[in-house]
Order: sequence, then structure tokens, then C-alpha cells
Amino acid sequence: MADYQEFIEKMGSKIKVEIKKKRRLYFQVKNDDILEVVDYLFNKMKCRLSTATATETYHGVEALYHFSDDKTGNYYCPRVIMKDKENPEMNSITPMIKGAEWIEREMAEWWGIKFIGHPRPIPLLSRNHPKAPNKPMRCGR
Amino acid sequence: MKTKSNLKNIVNKNQIPVGPFHPLLEEAEYFNITVDGETVVDIDMDTGWMHRGHEFISEQKTFTQSIYLVERICGICSTSHPLAFVHAIEDVDNIEIPMRARYIRTLVGELERIHSHLLWAGLAGHFIGYDTVWMWAWKYREPVLQMFEIISGNRNHYGIMRVGGVGKDVDTASIPELNKILDTLDKKMDMIAKIVNDDPVLRSRLIGVGVLSKEDAIDYCAMGPTGRASGVRGDVRKDEPIDAYDLVDFNEITTENGDVYDKTVVRVLEIIESVKICRQCLNKLKIIDGPVLNNVKEISAGEGIGRYEAPRGEVFHYVRTDGTNRPVRHKVRAPSFNNIPTFQASCKGIPIADALITLAGVDPCYCCTERAIRVVNKKNNIDLLKLSRDKTANIRRNL
Repeated sequence: MADYQEFIEKMGSKIKVEIKKKRRLYFQVKNDDILEVVDYLFNKMKCRLSTATATETYHGVEALYHFSDDKTGNYYCPRVIMKDKENPEMNSITPMIKGAEWIEREMAEWWGIKFIGHPRPIPLLSRNHPKAPNKPMRCGR
Repeated sequence: MKTKSNLKNIVNKNQIPVGPFHPLLEEAEYFNITVDGETVVDIDMDTGWMHRGHEFISEQKTFTQSIYLVERICGICSTSHPLAFVHAIEDVDNIEIPMRARYIRTLVGELERIHSHLLWAGLAGHFIGYDTVWMWAWKYREPVLQMFEIISGNRNHYGIMRVGGVGKDVDTASIPELNKILDTLDKKMDMIAKIVNDDPVLRSRLIGVGVLSKEDAIDYCAMGPTGRASGVRGDVRKDEPIDAYDLVDFNEITTENGDVYDKTVVRVLEIIESVKICRQCLNKLKIIDGPVLNNVKEISAGEGIGRYEAPRGEVFHYVRTDGTNRPVRHKVRAPSFNNIPTFQASCKGIPIADALITLAGVDPCYCCTERAIRVVNKKNNIDLLKLSRDKTANIRRNL
């Protein structure tokens, strides 16, 4: 928990902690602050981007990133909530982390999230698909 | 404007399609390799050939049903996915696991690592035209599958993971037989390690081929043997030791060079470590008694992350629950999803003849990577075979 405390104090009002338990920290971040928070996690703390999860809730469309601190086994999960369900958009972290390219392309394709600044915003899984599905994971939710 | 130098570039650069169905790839996948002469200058990957829908289907099933579903994401990682999934559900409520079940989970997970690495070693030997390696590696994989049959009744898809433990106990009477198989395996694995160390064909064919630098491995978030061969340490078994990994003695294998040879060395040494772990688990199972499954009646609303060090790297599952008996969101990320994009770094600048073994070097699993495509089929009239043919035709036109 001590590791979390240092991170939480460093980030201050930029993050809003939602769940804090053994080896897991979930927190909300505004879109304007996501790049700064990710920069701290990836470049300063040397965390590894494990993946990201998008979903749709009553509050909007969410993108939840999962950063693993392999030295301690802790997971840091910044969550960005986009309230505009019709046109969700947020800043891309791919220019900072090459490993985020595929997962952001996947989230854009399946959940309709527009990642601003993504260097290669083309579908990952249905690029040459003759009948490419439109936001398939949001259908029926 | 078409200048002389532009025209020269166009004439010199050729595109070589690999896939979607190719002898190198056991599964459907498409790589468009651009070469200048014989040197690879660019590689583009087009995924999305398998329509599986695992994430979406899982959200329609109960937790127990989903275990069987995720087991079928990958034929090789049929322990890693269900194990990461039950870890994720257990993470929601911090559910404790009986000690005997912890050792059984670890035993089955390590046997999976042995058979997966042997399978890869055989295929890698085949890809470089060294079929003796292929036949030997697969010959010694067979006893591992026999061990699975003794433990679970199945050679693959063991179906024993449960939330709160395991669904099937290891018969204590079978432990001497399992130990005997491990004894023979131990000697053979030492022999394979010596072959990898000494064989002039393997060394000359693999050393310096498809190098992934440490910086690139970090940037691409590579994991498992792919990352560890480039000097990036990280092993879920050490970082977050769940099950019995904090109770057994083993070493995390890392090397520095990042080429295909180092990836081979990491895997072979990991097999030896896995045999060591299996032996410790079997010894403990002889003396530890008790239940193998806690009775978990309900899962509260929350979020859980589960991970496991699969043979190819970290398997990651995330579940969000709402207090019912099914997940409202289930995210699956296999290690190949992070490891395959490293081709952008490791293939550029190498001869085309080395590209295929470099592609095989990360032990890619495409059905894991494409675990979740969903075709929205409201009228039930989409012909998937026709879609697949149309997609191939689209690619051919664009070449």
C-alpha cells in the first residue's frame, strides 16, 4: 500500500481513487490528465502496459488501462469515462507507448472510441472485412 | 511527382504476402512483407481471420460455464486462460484457495509450460529445416501429455479449474508413476539443453537472427520468453506469486541478446525449471491432505484482475461483476497480442530468409490474439465462408 500512497500523493487532484486493495489500484482520470498520469506510470515508475479494457455503462463509455508494476506485482488502472456515448473520444497514449497501438485500435473498432493523436487509426480485426461490423461490442448492451 | 529516385524505389521494393494460409502458420494470419532486394524493410500484419466472439459469449454465461469456454480460447494454453479467469473472479472477493488445490494448479500449469515449449521447439526446428529437432522434441512431449491424462483424464482441455480451487483431485496412488515419467523427462531435457548449447547448425542458424533490443521490448510491452530473451525481467510467477509459486523453488530465466537463439535458450532452460517445480509439487501432494475446493456461493459486485504466466507470457483476464453469477464485462488479453507487434522491430533489416523463423520466434498464437471478433448477424444469413473468401479477394486486389 505504501507504493500506492506515494503515487496517489504525487498525482494529487488529477486522480480520483475508486478501489484500493491488495495489489490493485483503480482510479478515475480526466481525459486532459491521462497523458501526464500515463507518462508518470510508464516513464518514471517503469510500469508495463498490460492492456486496456473498454466498456459501456450508464455513465458513458469507459477506457480502463492496466499498468503492471513488475517490481512489486501491483496493478495501476487509470479509467477515463467519456460521457458522450454517441461520439466518445479521448487522447491516445500510443505516441508515448508503442505497445498501446493494437489495443487502442481494437477499442476504437469495437466500442467506437476515437483516439485523438493515434498514429495509425485503422481497424485491427476487420480491416479488409467485406462486411465490417459497426461497434459490435456495444450492440445489445 | 515521379522522380528517378522514386521510380528506383518502386522498382526495387517488392511485397511478399505470407498467409493468410501458409505452411509456416498453423493458424490463419496474413503478413505483408516489403523487401528491398532480399532485405525486409517493412512488415504489416492483418489480423481478423477467426470469428470467435469469446469475450461476448462469456458475458452471456455463468462463471462456471465460462471456465470451459475460456479453456477453448487456445489449445496450448488450456490451463493458463481458465487459471487467469478464476484468479480474476477470486480477486473480486479475495477468495482463499485450499493448499492442496494450490499445488495441483501449479503442477498442471507447469506441465502445460513443458509441453508448450517442446511443441514450439519442434516447430522451430521444422521451420529451419532441421526435422530431427522436430521429431525429438515432439517425442519427449508425449510423456507430458500422458501425465495430463493420468491427472485429469484428458490429454488437453483438462477442465479442472474452478473458482475457489480445482474440480478434480490428484490421485495420490498415481504420484510414483508421475515421478517416474518426470525422471525420464529430466534426463532428456538435459540432453536437449546440451544440444541447443553445442549444435553448430542451430547456433549458426539462430544466433544474431531477429534481434529484439531491450528498448524495443520495453516499448512494445513484450512479455514472457520474448521479453526475457531481450533482458527484460518479468514473470508473473515471481512478481505476483499466486497458487503455490511462493512455496516452490525455481529461477526466472533471462538472457540479453534478444535473438531467436536466446529465445530458444530461455524456453529450454524454463522447461528444466518447470520439471523442478513439478517434482516439488508432487512431493508436497504426497503429504498434504484436505479439500481441493472451497464452496464459493456468490461473487459480490466489483472488479477483478487475474493473470498467469502462460508459456508465451502473461495471460490477462479482467472481470467486472454485478453480484449475479455472470460477468458483465470480461476482457481477455493473451501474451501474443503484445508480442506479435514486436515484428515491426525485429524483422526490419533482416534477410527475407530469416523473417519466417523470426516470426515463429515469439511463439505466436493467433487464435488467442483474435479471441473476440463478433459478427453481428441479425438476420442469420451471413455466410462466414463467403465472407472469408471475399476478404482474401480484397487483399489480393490491393496487393
